[in-house]
Amino acid sequence: MTWATQYRDLVSMQLRSMRNELWFAAMIQVVLSLGLVIGFGFLIPDVSETTALFLVTGTATQAFVTIGLVMLPQLLAQAKEAGRIEYFLTLPISREAYLLALVTVVALMALPAVAFTIVLGAWHYDLSFTFEPAFIAVALLAVFSLAGVGVAMAVYSPHQQVTNALTQLIIFYVLFFAPVLLPKEQLPELLQFTSNFAPPTYAADGVRATLTDLPGTHLARSLWAMTGFAAGSLALSSVAMRRRG
Amino acid sequence: MAMNNEPLLDIRNLEKRYRSGTLANAGISLALQPGEVFGLLGPNGAGKTTLVRQVLGMLRPTSGSIALNGIDVVADPGYARRNIGFLPQGQFDLEALQVGELIEFSARLRGVHPKDARRTADRLVERLDLGAFRKTSMHTASGGVRRLAGFAAAIAAPVNLLVLDEPTNDVDPIRRQLLWTTVAELGAEGATVLLVTHNLAEAERFIDRLAIIDGGRIVREGTPAGLRTIVTERLRLEMAMAGEVAPHPALTAEHGNPGCFLFDQRDLAAVSAWLAVLRESGLLTDFRIGPPTLDDIYAAAVMPPRELEAVS
Repeated sequence: MTWATQYRDLVSMQLRSMRNELWFAAMIQVVLSLGLVIGFGFLIPDVSETTALFLVTGTATQAFVTIGLVMLPQLLAQAKEAGRIEYFLTLPISREAYLLALVTVVALMALPAVAFTIVLGAWHYDLSFTFEPAFIAVALLAVFSLAGVGVAMAVYSPHQQVTNALTQLIIFYVLFFAPVLLPKEQLPELLQFTSNFAPPTYAADGVRATLTDLPGTHLARSLWAMTGFAAGSLALSSVAMRRRG
Repeated sequence: MAMNNEPLLDIRNLEKRYRSGTLANAGISLALQPGEVFGLLGPNGAGKTTLVRQVLGMLRPTSGSIALNGIDVVADPGYARRNIGFLPQGQFDLEALQVGELIEFSARLRGVHPKDARRTADRLVERLDLGAFRKTSMHTASGGVRRLAGFAAAIAAPVNLLVLDEPTNDVDPIRRQLLWTTVAELGAEGATVLLVTHNLAEAERFIDRLAIIDGGRIVREGTPAGLRTIVTERLRLEMAMAGEVAPHPALTAEHGNPGCFLFDQRDLAAVSAWLAVLRESGLLTDFRIGPPTLDDIYAAAVMPPRELEAVS
């Protein structure tokens, strides 16, 4: 059985086993996008074009974060607790194919929400977005880096509760303390420094670099950083799944 | 392939000490012959699951060796995964995946062609009377249906060794019989089965040999008939009492079964006389004396004789 056949069957199996969560995740994303894109506008009296661009691209990034760094680790931690992972670990399949299948399903959940956010934002704030083909690479790497870190978090967490607590913290961090919905310069120096080690920073930067003309973006740095996070976290997860106690 | 007389699974001096210091397996040696249905029994915490996880290549032994078909699976755990079908002990919850899908995908992921995998799923669904649950999601299925679906998934592709951990937990009596018959058929077709179970009385008919494990060691090993000799010199007494009375000194309490005792056949006259006195005084409402059950072998092997408490 080839690696590709295993990967195809695992994606199909994951999609079927998550058929109830898929629409639920999509619905949550729509509500989140509505809340962030439109609701944040109520907090800010006069939303400038720059602010609106940050809000919309930040919300699009938030969709990757919610699925990759929140929902996926929670689902995986639950799977670990329920013994589902053990079933897969006893099959003659590649661990990497299993992990990539999970990340692929996450990508399929996140991408419609990203598209919805951009369209909603463009309509609500009357914005025009440029589209660079590099956005496809940014989107893929955003999924792989965020979901990769999410998987590693779940695999290394001792308990489901620890994973769930971490994911709650991540939501708050990304919403208020990271350069995702707002420019880096608006954050205190300490948070500017810590954001260098957070994958959502680079996902947001990449999204802005390929969809807007906003100044101060670094596409190449964002692509390299996301590649590093994706490779590092998936390698760490793979090591954990091969560990035999 | 295994040569004649060469064990299919050969475990030698297996020791597993966890980082916490717990010694879960303390020098276990077992040899399973091709086509054998081998029962592994033991109380909770005896080291059964640790042993199984090492055979499956999920845990690394501290010392000792495990060979499957002569291949060292400690060095090559992938070989174990390719050649062992496994039903884990826990609840088999695979979310919204349907029962039929689980069986089909388990076969596909073990290298069976998709068309053949579909046919295998059809056959096993019918064989285990799961037709009504084929489209039931694993998450909403009852515990018994999940176990059966997991069992079907474990046997969905040809393997050298089948490891079944408590396969009949939560399964209803009719399907339980179907499952045991299927295990027996697999054995007759030449599959080697390692069966971890508490339900000795039920599994007895299908087991060729068994080992009793306690405290990380094999304490008894042999055929069910051979192991019966441990308790053949004894009889089993069941009593129903209307009051409290000190038990006869010849009786040994059966673990976990209040009102059940074992005693030496030579003490039959003394015990009978004692029962007659109790009967006359109205304290004894009912009693039955018979041969020991196979569960008594298990109890005799793993339980030290207990000090008798008052019978009530």
